[in-house]
Amino acid sequence: MQSISVDQVRSEVFKFWSAFEGKTRSSFEEQYSPTAGVFAVDGRRSEPARLMWVRRDREFFGPQSSVRARLGTITVQLLGANLAVAAYPLQFSVVRTLPNGKRVGVDVPFCRATQVFQIDEKGKLLIIHEHLSSAEPVAPKELPSQ
Amino acid sequence: MSGKSKDRLEDFYAPGAIVFTGKARQPEPAAAALGRRARQLASASAATSAEVGEMDIRIAAAEYAIATYTYRFHDTRAGQGGVSQRHTLFGRATQIFHQEKDGRLLLVHEHLSAAVPPEVEKSGSK
Repeated sequence: MQSISVDQVRSEVFKFWSAFEGKTRSSFEEQYSPTAGVFAVDGRRSEPARLMWVRRDREFFGPQSSVRARLGTITVQLLGANLAVAAYPLQFSVVRTLPNGKRVGVDVPFCRATQVFQIDEKGKLLIIHEHLSSAEPVAPKELPSQ
Repeated sequence: MSGKSKDRLEDFYAPGAIVFTGKARQPEPAAAALGRRARQLASASAATSAEVGEMDIRIAAAEYAIATYTYRFHDTRAGQGGVSQRHTLFGRATQIFHQEKDGRLLLVHEHLSAAVPPEVEKSGSK
């Protein structure tokens, strides 16, 4: 089995955000292990990736939603041959559609990300754990309907 | 952490560990964060306590495990402006441990955050 490299992890991180910003649902979901656990920026507890996919699909991938991310320096820790951690700051802006149909905008200027990647039997890097958070409190703003 | 012992806290981290502390904007070496944390908590008047919620452990590789859990953290400090109490009610933790050759588990990565800003109570000067 091939070993993970720092460049490979950085490339996966850029691919991840490109899929998120582009609302490319299949590419986005394919980057997670189905058994991954995720702390969303405002989540009070960890949730399974499968649940997160449904929520993000509803809130972020609709025609009235949008995601923008500007990544800072990505620190990569290689933990053995098949495990790596990416840790980085980012500026994160989203327009999300709530279950009641309302749209809210959230700017997270000091977002922090930890993503743990593991290489699978086919040599693909998958996220097995994700922790997103904000260093400063953020307040969602209600937006007019489109 | 609620025991306030800097030496004990440092013993939990591997030399190259990377951490995101509660309000840090960047990942940083654990040594830097621990030094800051020790200064904040070293005051004789400081008191801290923590309650850990349900923990999920994932064995990620032969020598690595990921612990994720929620926690509450309470911190009381006396300063010139009086006593302030800070309550982190929705803390979230990711900690990645490595098992050393001697069997010890050391943290190689940590991300601590709060889903909701901490509640702060201030009482008058003494």
